[in-house]
Amino acid sequence: MPSPRADPPAWITTSQHLSRWVIRRILPLSAVAAGAVLLVVFYFPTGIVFLEAVVPDGTPSLGPLRSVLTDPFYVGVLADLFARPTAVGEHLSSLAGWIAAGFPRPSLGLIGFTAYQAVLSTIASVAIGLPGAYILSRYEFRGRRLLRSLTILPFVLPGIMVAIGFFAMFSRDGPFNQLLGLVGLGPVELLFTLEVIVLAHAFYNAPLVARLVTAAWESVDARTVETARSLGASPPRAFLDVIAPQLAPAVLAGAVLTFVFTFRTFPIVLALGGLEMATIEVWIFSRIRQLDLTAAAALAVVETIISIGVLLLYLRFEASRYGTGSAPTPLDRRPLLPSLRAMLRPSRLAIGAYSVFVLVLFVGPMASMVVESLTGPNGFTTSHYAFLLDRQVGGQAFQIRPWPAVRNSLLFAGATLALALPTGIVIAVRRVRGDRGGILLDALATAPLAVSGIVLGIGLLRGLVFGIPLPGGFRIQVTGALAIIAAHAAATYPFVVRNVAPAVGRVDRSLVESARALGASRVRAMVDIELPLATAGIVAGAAFAFAISIGEFNSTVILAEGGDYYTMPVAVERYLGDRTLGPATAMGTILLAVTSASFVIIDRVGSGRGDRL
Amino acid sequence: MDRRRFIAAIGGTAGAGLAGCISRDDGDDSEPTVDDSSDDTDDAGSENGSAERTLTVATYDSFLDAPSTAPGEWVKSEFESQHENVTIEWKTPESGLNHYIQRFDEDVAFDADIYLGLNVDDLIRADDQLDDSLFQELDRDAVDNAEHVRPDLEFDPHDRVLPFDTGYISMVYDENELSTPETFEQLTQDEFGGTLLAQNAQQSDPGQAFLLWTIHEFGEDGYLEYWRDLQENDVQILGSWWDTYSAYLEEERPMVVSYSTDQVFANRDGNDMSRHQLGFLEDQGYANPEAMAVFAGADEGTNTLAHEFFDFLLSPEAQGQIAKLNVQFPATDNADLDDEYTEFAQEPPETVFFDYEELQGNLDGWVEDWAREIAG
Repeated sequence: MPSPRADPPAWITTSQHLSRWVIRRILPLSAVAAGAVLLVVFYFPTGIVFLEAVVPDGTPSLGPLRSVLTDPFYVGVLADLFARPTAVGEHLSSLAGWIAAGFPRPSLGLIGFTAYQAVLSTIASVAIGLPGAYILSRYEFRGRRLLRSLTILPFVLPGIMVAIGFFAMFSRDGPFNQLLGLVGLGPVELLFTLEVIVLAHAFYNAPLVARLVTAAWESVDARTVETARSLGASPPRAFLDVIAPQLAPAVLAGAVLTFVFTFRTFPIVLALGGLEMATIEVWIFSRIRQLDLTAAAALAVVETIISIGVLLLYLRFEASRYGTGSAPTPLDRRPLLPSLRAMLRPSRLAIGAYSVFVLVLFVGPMASMVVESLTGPNGFTTSHYAFLLDRQVGGQAFQIRPWPAVRNSLLFAGATLALALPTGIVIAVRRVRGDRGGILLDALATAPLAVSGIVLGIGLLRGLVFGIPLPGGFRIQVTGALAIIAAHAAATYPFVVRNVAPAVGRVDRSLVESARALGASRVRAMVDIELPLATAGIVAGAAFAFAISIGEFNSTVILAEGGDYYTMPVAVERYLGDRTLGPATAMGTILLAVTSASFVIIDRVGSGRGDRL
Repeated sequence: MDRRRFIAAIGGTAGAGLAGCISRDDGDDSEPTVDDSSDDTDDAGSENGSAERTLTVATYDSFLDAPSTAPGEWVKSEFESQHENVTIEWKTPESGLNHYIQRFDEDVAFDADIYLGLNVDDLIRADDQLDDSLFQELDRDAVDNAEHVRPDLEFDPHDRVLPFDTGYISMVYDENELSTPETFEQLTQDEFGGTLLAQNAQQSDPGQAFLLWTIHEFGEDGYLEYWRDLQENDVQILGSWWDTYSAYLEEERPMVVSYSTDQVFANRDGNDMSRHQLGFLEDQGYANPEAMAVFAGADEGTNTLAHEFFDFLLSPEAQGQIAKLNVQFPATDNADLDDEYTEFAQEPPETVFFDYEELQGNLDGWVEDWAREIAG
């Protein structure tokens, strides 16, 4: 402790200067940090793999890509077109032949099927997610906030848990068919069909749509609707003209993200639908397993180009949508059940029917998993939890124990939140301001969503875990906890941006400008004015950041490199060692419990801050 | 502090924090160095025999961490108690042997001395990918118990690997719903329509084994036709063994391609045995032997210790324990088997499997053609 002096010591003035400087530079610095993280944990590793597709064996070649695009197995009828793009006459005549034959369903190959199921999955996710967003944002009822917090839950479940839940819920003699039986329907054979894959994708992605749209809906300014109504618009008209345009970016964001996710889907299709429903990612995985990196990279490049194309279309649309600039006075929520009689109104009946559907699709599989964790061959048992306790107390150092898994998951998720939330907000604010750098950063941060998880995995292994050789036999390696957190953060920014940007976009510019005119710095105006008004979006973004980190599997196992950095999903997979579902479902139940509690806390803390301000 | 220095400082700190480490490969040696940690002490160890030695063993995770039983703990403590100052250290890389093939290929040092749990296809892939062998040739004379290894499980023509256990692929079925599946033809008939669950041979060991078994039965010119018949009879091919087995446990289908040791688990878990019957098609089971080998580059001390470890693993006692704890069959003819094990683990009357030479150059093509047939 230095003794007090008349003049502040040099280090204090330096640090004051420094902190002012940091605050002034916080926006650009966060952007630089985000860029650096993306570069290290995403662009560099995937770059290494993608390069194999165009420079196999050290010489540039289009061979690998051509062999994908000219293989009817991958691209169906388009193979001929790609093989001989200049034979226009022949292509036209075969087109004519196709029309003359009465438009028979053309074969689009593996890639075509992948896109087809992704489109169906997107439609289903939006159709199931939108009513949920409507109910959560427009009605008041007991448990609404709790429910809103938990919408994100399916997002964190490992694929194998979802598969086990779906097997249990929708099997021939499962609860779903028993329910159908009660009302005199069924049974339906749902498993191993395209329908069940689409439903499983909706299980993951409808909550994403609902979450994004709820946040947007809660930021709709009630006064704009009132103005429209006072000018004579009917409620449907006011909805179409005033509310719908404000929801459109969120709905579209949900749809695009769903498409991109389900386009590169892998474990769910094989677990629930099987090889007949194979997607392009299944073939990438098989190439990687054979260590045929060139073929894997070629397939991944085609996959990424399609996904990026969809993302770019959307980003262009989104850019034209921000900054309607109106101070948010949120819409009032109606009571869901004002009276018993109201239950019979068509709107409430529809909500009732939707709730039953949601219970079956979302609660059913999760509840089945919990039931499984408490069931043995002779009925109720706690032995699976006893196993976890046993492992915790008596497990060897080389075995996976439950508590470190829980602790690591929470630590990584907390750190991801701390890193991705401020950075994502900064990108969102710059994005909304129409700042070129912001748009570029957003595009750079969004691109990782389009890349195969398997390809990123092998890139991380070769690029970061093996390291980059330096002269003198040194290698620079990036592994361990910090690398995992950075990878999780890189997977997270786009979601924070998608959630925060619409909310910030609707903040009245004049409020910010008044604050600036009164002498507030840019940062102060952002912290005191913009962010409190965008709370709904920020909380939604925080929940996503947390959920993605908790649920992330591929890069975690690779960067942890056999160390003590395993997480809850890793533990779930490990406990699937032999022929009982018990221990894995018990660990899965703990995953559910820990993450539900986290989401409720995030929502409470987030909206608590909003109230105070 | 001026701005440039500040940025450099921040960047430097962040960089050092992220980059876990800068490590150094052992300079003069172009081969990946093995077992850096014990390098310093190995020489001393061979002199006075009392220095600490570490044997780093890479294997698959359920060898250490399966929910019911796993042999890892027993193997480690027993071997360490028999060998003073020796420590067994386990490694379980997510991508299995591929991890080491890639490290070797990229000339990155790896901290493992031996690999436990090598299949034929792993060995073929390693040889195809690499110019030099990933493994050393073994000195069989230094492994006394190697003479008890069953010759029908040996699969390396270049004498680098030793089998230490094997599984057999068979049908597991519910006798309340099906009669015993006895032949491949039966599976394509009405009686067995919509009953079978199998795995994707691109990613699953039993899935690949079952596919190879059909190639063994129908030849490479006939197997695709057989699979077309199976598909017409509504076979369901899911991803991993787990995908199929959890569907089987949920009674979605009454038959699954699995291992002939299924009843050991069923008995242990108190399951209804009628749902865990075994069917050996054509009185056969497809063998899936697992082997062990020493990585290339291991120094002499480590190599000697590895041979001692192999000898230990092939001893009658260890073979019995591995059979019981890993729920696989021993690879030797003189294992001390547990009663519970011999009662419930069933061996097929006849064992079939393709060895290295039969699979090399064919395997990837067979699997790819099959997968295209199913997915197309």
